[in-house]
Amino acid sequence: MMGHIHTRLKLGLIALLAAATAMMAPQAAIAQEVVGADVPASAEPQEVPAGETEAADASSGYVPMDPVEGKGMPTSAEDDIWASMTFQDQYTADGAYALGMHDYILLPVITLISLFVLGLLLWVILRYNRKANPVPSKTTHNTLIEVVWTIVPVIILVIIAVPSITLLARQYETPPEDAITIKATGYQWYWGYTYPDHGEVEIISNMLSDADAIANGEPAQLAVDNRMVVPAGVPLRIQTTAADVIHAFAVPSLWFKMDAVPGRLNEKMLTIEEPGLYYGQCSELCGARHAYMPIAVEALPMAEFEAWILEQGGSLPGAEETTDEALPLGQETGVEVDADSDAADADIPAP
Amino acid sequence: MATTAEGFDAPTAGHGGDHSHDHADHKPGFFARWFMSTNHKDIGTLYLIFAIIAGIVGGAISGIMRMELAEPGIQYLQFWAQFMGGTSDINTALHMWNVFITAHGLIMVFFMVMPAMIGGFGNWFVPLMIGAPDMAFPRMNNVSFWLTVAGFFSLLFSLFVPGGTGPGAGVGWTVYAPLSTTGSVGPAVDFAIFSLHLAGAGSILGATNFITTIFNMRAPGMTLHKMPLFVWSVLVTAFLLLLALPVLAAAITMLLTDRNFGTTFFDPAGGGDPVLYQHLFWFFGHPEVYIMILPGFGMISQIVATFSRKPVFGYLGMAYAMVAIGVVGFIVWAHHMYTVGLDVNTKMYFTAATMVIAVPTGVKIFSWVATMWGGSLEFKSPMVWAMGFIFLFTVGGVTGVVLANGGIDDNLHDTYYVVAHFHYVLSMGAVFSLFAGFYYWFPKMSGRMHSELLSHLHFWLFFIGVNVIFFPQHFLGMNGMPRRYPDYPEAFAFWNEISTYGYVIMAGSMLIFFANLAYAFTAGRKAGNNPWGEGATTLEWTLSSPPPFHQFETLPVIEDHHDYHDHMPRDGSPATA
Amino acid sequence: MSSVNPSIDDKNLRTGGLALLGALAMLGLGYAAVPLYDLFCRVTGFGGTTQVASEADASRAAQAGIDREISIRFDASTARDVPWSFRPAQATDTVRIGRRDIASYIARNDDSVAITGTATFNVEPAQAGKYFHKIQCFCFTEQTLQPGQEVNMPVLYYVDPAILEDEFMADVEQITLSYTFHRAKEAVSTGS
Repeated sequence: MMGHIHTRLKLGLIALLAAATAMMAPQAAIAQEVVGADVPASAEPQEVPAGETEAADASSGYVPMDPVEGKGMPTSAEDDIWASMTFQDQYTADGAYALGMHDYILLPVITLISLFVLGLLLWVILRYNRKANPVPSKTTHNTLIEVVWTIVPVIILVIIAVPSITLLARQYETPPEDAITIKATGYQWYWGYTYPDHGEVEIISNMLSDADAIANGEPAQLAVDNRMVVPAGVPLRIQTTAADVIHAFAVPSLWFKMDAVPGRLNEKMLTIEEPGLYYGQCSELCGARHAYMPIAVEALPMAEFEAWILEQGGSLPGAEETTDEALPLGQETGVEVDADSDAADADIPAP
Repeated sequence: MATTAEGFDAPTAGHGGDHSHDHADHKPGFFARWFMSTNHKDIGTLYLIFAIIAGIVGGAISGIMRMELAEPGIQYLQFWAQFMGGTSDINTALHMWNVFITAHGLIMVFFMVMPAMIGGFGNWFVPLMIGAPDMAFPRMNNVSFWLTVAGFFSLLFSLFVPGGTGPGAGVGWTVYAPLSTTGSVGPAVDFAIFSLHLAGAGSILGATNFITTIFNMRAPGMTLHKMPLFVWSVLVTAFLLLLALPVLAAAITMLLTDRNFGTTFFDPAGGGDPVLYQHLFWFFGHPEVYIMILPGFGMISQIVATFSRKPVFGYLGMAYAMVAIGVVGFIVWAHHMYTVGLDVNTKMYFTAATMVIAVPTGVKIFSWVATMWGGSLEFKSPMVWAMGFIFLFTVGGVTGVVLANGGIDDNLHDTYYVVAHFHYVLSMGAVFSLFAGFYYWFPKMSGRMHSELLSHLHFWLFFIGVNVIFFPQHFLGMNGMPRRYPDYPEAFAFWNEISTYGYVIMAGSMLIFFANLAYAFTAGRKAGNNPWGEGATTLEWTLSSPPPFHQFETLPVIEDHHDYHDHMPRDGSPATA
Repeated sequence: MSSVNPSIDDKNLRTGGLALLGALAMLGLGYAAVPLYDLFCRVTGFGGTTQVASEADASRAAQAGIDREISIRFDASTARDVPWSFRPAQATDTVRIGRRDIASYIARNDDSVAITGTATFNVEPAQAGKYFHKIQCFCFTEQTLQPGQEVNMPVLYYVDPAILEDEFMADVEQITLSYTFHRAKEAVSTGS
């Protein structure tokens, strides 16, 4: 950890610089949008305004992560027929829990019920066809069996309800104060990602053409020009809204889906367990190009995420405080970078 | 289509000639009979013909969709965009996709399943089964039908007028605001909404008619607890229609005024809330799915009992299970909105309430099995469709239990898993029961027998076809493919291709269905009063096939047999005596 | 056409009339849902709807003298047809529960014509809605900005001390207050 102090100091300085730039240019957000929109899809997104080029050089520089086959994306039947028939591997604790609930409770239960009914049907076909049983019984009531087939489903449902409610409770855990906040805004037909705690960085994310995606080694229709970059292993506060019609921010391998509704903000916590590239697609009908506004979430280790933020012309939360309060900057940024839980403390002194 | 209409007409008219009832078979001229019809059987026939036509249109649209989805990329949508009068622009082509999914959904729900089940079989057999001469309000019955037809034309018209990015309304059958308001410029969405108004008004009038008929027009002795389960199912359905459709009417009227008259019911710019539209829509939409399946439940009960030669097991449980499903259906709507941003308590409530529906549904499944248990089963065409229904509806039902879990739905919401689920309960639930009902009552309605061989062939091909279409869609959904997508990443190609093959099989089976109809009308042997034997105990089987133009001019008397299911009057069939 | 006797027709008209009345009532309920839903949200805070409080309410809340703090995040969005730059003066703030606090948003009209905007709002997590009280807010009225005009828009609010007694709020460390500016309806019709 000690070895990184210098880097951190440097990052802190750069962050301060970036924050100052941001303060001087209240249009920062719009400028970013223009940058994002103007850069051709093939160009690297590091092309940030002149003031920040040094920042890009100072850190090792963000290189978009290469996708890993079968991770964070659907699997084709040719590659693995079984994987193509079920859920994507999960990279969040809640996703793993939900997947486990599906695989170990729901799927066996529904399969057994279906097979049970099929078995009953086959049995009555064999046993009670007109040849086998020419004289029908006249039984029309059996209170015991009627009670049984009412109570047994109730019991099965209660058994399902326990993990189901637990899962809901887990999914609704609220993010800690210092969770990294990312706001995803749906537009017809692209996504915008802002980082309100990081100097109003705004990333505009458009789908890559099939040719560009394949050239990048990425799956067509899932690849985007500018990804939503987030830190891995820490809680994220994902907020969604939309600027025109309803969209839905969805990433199957993170078991995450939340509508983006114009005029309101939705929020949910997301903790991605490991670095990786996780693809998703808009999941609420939003007009003609509904199928062409994919989501690519790139989770990086915290330090790389922060370097990326700085490259985008953003600032780190600690640095922002220092500009406001003129606190000793090395200390503040050091705290900030060191452990995200301290970010909360950094925020509190503000009156 | 005209041939079908004449086909239905011909044997009925032909049969009338050799019938002994002069008064009963006095029929008006062609125009008066079919365009100003007040006869429940004629209106039922009209509804069935209409539903078949709408089903062909809706089914053709799904063919276009499966063709497009057979492989990744946009293959045919530009062609269809130009065909419908749009430009070759890619966004117009993509808009056409949304128009197709919208039209397919609306047509199949409002102009195929509902008219066939309630308008067709309901009109035909509710009066016959309760021993009534006709519906309570015969002229209103006619109005209901033509409103539905007008609605269908309004929807078809919407396909050819501007709807924003291209011709037609591309908003999904759910017509969510603001995509349907500020998001779609042009009259197409207005016409689509208006079509729902017309069809909705027709259905509300129809529901009023059924409720009145069932409450007031039952033959002496036909108490509520002796009514055949099909009548029960139509009664519950009528109440659902009566209570749910006006809410849809209100919601879509507000959409119309938001679109055209500057109101802001669902527009945040004026203090409205787009989420409220979803609440209103699904307050209608969830009962609507039971509206589509309950009459099917009723038909399956009749058919299973008939071909098991055994009264329905647990009659009262079956009747009240439908009532329970209807009631609970009104308090689970937000399970269609799990991702909209509900708070945790709301989501937990709707998860629990939704799962409750599985209980009465289970009662029905097991009661059908128990009806067959100990019976003497004959696998005539209606019975194989009914048994196919029981199995496939179970499969669709259990995936519903999966989706009921709000936390699981976070992944599956708006994916192909949902598409697979609701097609298992509709395309296999509702449609299988429709075919079961059709083969069951076709001899009664037409006076002719269809071919058992062709019917069985139709069943097996259709069974294989729809399963090949929809079972792989579970895989696609779990693997992450969102619904309402005209194009998809390469990874989804395989199962989509399989699904499209399934469509071809299914479409082939429909050719057999029409061949079967042609056979029945040209060469089918005459059906007697009761072609299905002693298991068919409801009143319609006491009448001639087809029944006289006016039946039960002397009301049948249903005696107390201390048996819920033996409705056959002791003194034979009053109308034919 | 098949009138069995006059009394059955009367009975039918009564039943049918009742049924249609039921349908009509549901239609009315459909429309009534708009104000009722609004009222429901306002009263229960459903969907993260914030509460409106008077100065007197605020004073009462302050008297509770709670010594706990909570973090508030401020979020700003604009609909696509509103060419404003709209942002909170500060992204987050920490407030004493029960104490009134002021937050401000900065909005500037980047267009060359005057634009009237109206703001919608909600808080997240949604269950915090009933504890988030606004005393004054720019969102209560429409805001007109001249070309290039930049204004400071204040929100005077407090967090209800009752929040501490709600188990569903026990783990909430931060409440996000979100605003979205839309073009006011009149502006749409006259401005374009």
